[in-house]
Amino acid sequence: MSIGLLLALLTAAALFGIGLYGALSQTNLVMIMMGVELILGGALLNLVAFWRFLHPGSYPGQMFVLIVMTVMAVEMAVGFGVAIARFRARGSVEMEAARELQG
Amino acid sequence: MSALQLAFVTFFGLAAVWFALVVFRTSSMMRSALALLFSQTALGALFLALQAEFLGVLQIMMMATEMSIMAIFMVMFMMDPGGLGQMDMTHQKRLSIVAGVVAAAVVAVVAVLTPWGAPATSIPNPSEQLQGLGRELLGRSMLVFETAGITILTAMVAATAVAMPALQRRRER
Amino acid sequence: MTGLLALAPLAPLAAAALILLGRRAAAPLALLGAGASLYGGARLLSSVAAGATASLALPGLPGLPLALTATPLTALLSVLVATIALFVLTYATGYMTEDPERKRFFATMLLFVAAMQTLVLAGDWILLLAAWEVIGLASYLLIGFWHDRPGVPAAATRAFLTTRAADLGLYAAAFLLIGATGTNAITQATHPSGPAALAAGLLLLLAAMGKSAQTPLHGWLQDAMAGPTPVSALLHSATLVAAGAILLIRTAPLLPPAALLAAGLVGGTTTVITGLIAFAERDLKRLLAASTSSQYGLMLLAVGAGYPLAALLLLIAHAAIKSSLFLASGVFQHSRDSTRLDDLRGIAAERPLAYAGFTLAALALAGIPPLSGFLAKDAVIAATLASPRTAAFATLALAGTLLTGAYMGRALHALWHGQPHPRPLAGIGWMIAGLTGLVALAATLALAFPGIRTLLGQPLPETVAAKAAGLSAALTGLALGWLLRPERALGPLLPWAQRGFRIGGGLSALTVKSALTLARACDRTETLLYGGVLAAGRAGMAVARAAQASDDLGLDALIAALARGANRLGARLRTLQSGLIHRELALATAGAALLVASLAIALLAAPAIPPR
Repeated sequence: MSIGLLLALLTAAALFGIGLYGALSQTNLVMIMMGVELILGGALLNLVAFWRFLHPGSYPGQMFVLIVMTVMAVEMAVGFGVAIARFRARGSVEMEAARELQG
Repeated sequence: MSALQLAFVTFFGLAAVWFALVVFRTSSMMRSALALLFSQTALGALFLALQAEFLGVLQIMMMATEMSIMAIFMVMFMMDPGGLGQMDMTHQKRLSIVAGVVAAAVVAVVAVLTPWGAPATSIPNPSEQLQGLGRELLGRSMLVFETAGITILTAMVAATAVAMPALQRRRER
Repeated sequence: MTGLLALAPLAPLAAAALILLGRRAAAPLALLGAGASLYGGARLLSSVAAGATASLALPGLPGLPLALTATPLTALLSVLVATIALFVLTYATGYMTEDPERKRFFATMLLFVAAMQTLVLAGDWILLLAAWEVIGLASYLLIGFWHDRPGVPAAATRAFLTTRAADLGLYAAAFLLIGATGTNAITQATHPSGPAALAAGLLLLLAAMGKSAQTPLHGWLQDAMAGPTPVSALLHSATLVAAGAILLIRTAPLLPPAALLAAGLVGGTTTVITGLIAFAERDLKRLLAASTSSQYGLMLLAVGAGYPLAALLLLIAHAAIKSSLFLASGVFQHSRDSTRLDDLRGIAAERPLAYAGFTLAALALAGIPPLSGFLAKDAVIAATLASPRTAAFATLALAGTLLTGAYMGRALHALWHGQPHPRPLAGIGWMIAGLTGLVALAATLALAFPGIRTLLGQPLPETVAAKAAGLSAALTGLALGWLLRPERALGPLLPWAQRGFRIGGGLSALTVKSALTLARACDRTETLLYGGVLAAGRAGMAVARAAQASDDLGLDALIAALARGANRLGARLRTLQSGLIHRELALATAGAALLVASLAIALLAAPAIPPR
């Protein structure tokens, strides 16, 4: 068991936890998106650590990382588009007031 | 892994975690955005320390751009971008803290207790990595890449359409 | 020939139908119908006299066809019925001038004539039975014609039920004869013998007693005088009551000696008893009714003596005579609006023509030569003298003759002495016309008797003793009646005679009352059953309602409760969907954690897969 791997994984765990806290506790849409970014960052770190320490010769690991980064970018783009639309409609992006989908 | 690399890993890891905490502890929007920027950059540096150069560079570049844009949106949409009002803009705090702590703990426990096996000894150098990645991209993962490209295009169009204001004639009616 | 056979009964029936459909010209149509029937009968008689016989077969039951036959006897009777009917209907045209229900009257009379023609021309038992019943029905309808007047419906019911009870005898006899001989034809060729013949004979006698008002069934005829006078003249003197005598005359060859003896005794007893009743009567029409029973008693006596031809001669003579007497009494009734002898005193001077006709017919009935009644009575007395039971029969016959003279004399006396109250009468012309025709017939029928005797070709005794005895009895009776009052003549018998010799409420208590009581009991039973059926129906409905209620309260309630429960559950679950992003994210996180945990447990618990 390598120390380096352990450290990386623990860091990723911490990032994951902080990001989850942020996504669940923030009222602002943009802040929620920030939390999601952190979660994804933790996942990325995990992937890279596993590539580096367990399977360095296997490039699909890096491929996966590229895909996750792409997803992060796309999610941001769409999320901001939604935020603009919401802002136009309601004048704010506070999610406390967003009860339209209440069943 | 050499001691230097280990030191870097430790340093950048702690930096990332600390800046992540700052993101949610500060009430200023600008500072949240910048803190996130630094956290992601630290993550990129971590990648570099782990000898994934291409990925590290990519991460730093992308995150820099994204966070800047996020900062602009912050200023556009927030009531109090400077955080001067000192309002607590959170809800269900206890639940979130519990969820975060539990999730981190579970992942950490799993990471510690799992027998991962002996670490790898030889790491390919950056040019080899690049070549390998390129071959992977245009070989076995071609479909994945193409699909990702289409998805990005769709997302761009969708985001633009969502963000556009309602058409003129609808307003006239 | 068969066309004529059909014409006689069908012509009156067609006329009745026309009257009912057209509701106009009732009297002319009636006369037309009767006239056509007479024409048919007369042609039939002339053909039969020439030696031909005819038979018209109608489809009936399998193996038992219905038939009308023309023999000398049946043709003669057909002519008689039609003639009397024609004259009476002529009279009725005048009698019913002022009555608003004339159409119903004429239609029912024509129905009766049609049924009577069928009866006399019937060639088989079934048709005879049917016609027998129809004349009973017509009698009921006609007696009860003025049903609004008090006592009339009761009289009609009594007459109907009494004769109906006696008709059972005819039914039993007919079925007995059909069973014994295997055919339903009324022929004289096949006689049953032994007990069947005796039983049939006695039953036929019972039916004849009912229809011809013989003792003890004589009460109904006097009550039947409640109907209009033409009805009394046609039905209850000449035709309907003649049906009983006609039955016995036709079946006389079948009857064994014991039955003949019974018939003779019944007839003889009736003659005397009803003669006494007639003598004591205070109402003219009831007197004539009792007289009818008495005369038919004489006819049964003649049949019992063994000489049906004598009975037939008396029947023919009596028909003309009695109808004339009734028609005349009808004229008196319209003049004084009453038929009581006390009310009719002195009417002789008021209505001389009618009184003259009455007198002529009364003398004929008493038996004064050269009128037809004398010859007929003479034949009957001679028959009784020639019979095996001379003593009893002859005594009864002579007593009857005496009584005939007595009550006729009394009637003549009562109508003669008194004050006339002249007043005009509507329709008198028609009435006198009918009366005259019948009186003329009554007077001159004697001339036809020899022809009838040769036509039927049956034996008939004739003795001087009979003539002498009959004439003396008649004259004595007439004198008695004219001179003596009934109270003095009858003495202790007077109350009995005035009550019609009724014992213990009479036969009406036996037949009429029991029939009505039975009818009421049946009505009560039927009401009970009906109530029971309705109750069953209601019970069924109650069961159905209970089932429906259990379905509503039980199953429906259950299903509704299930639906409500599902609704409430859904409503509670809906609160999960708050629409708030953070809550949804929290739920998503929990769900993902659950998924990962289960995956981990599955992987850890599963046995390790050895690497390939």
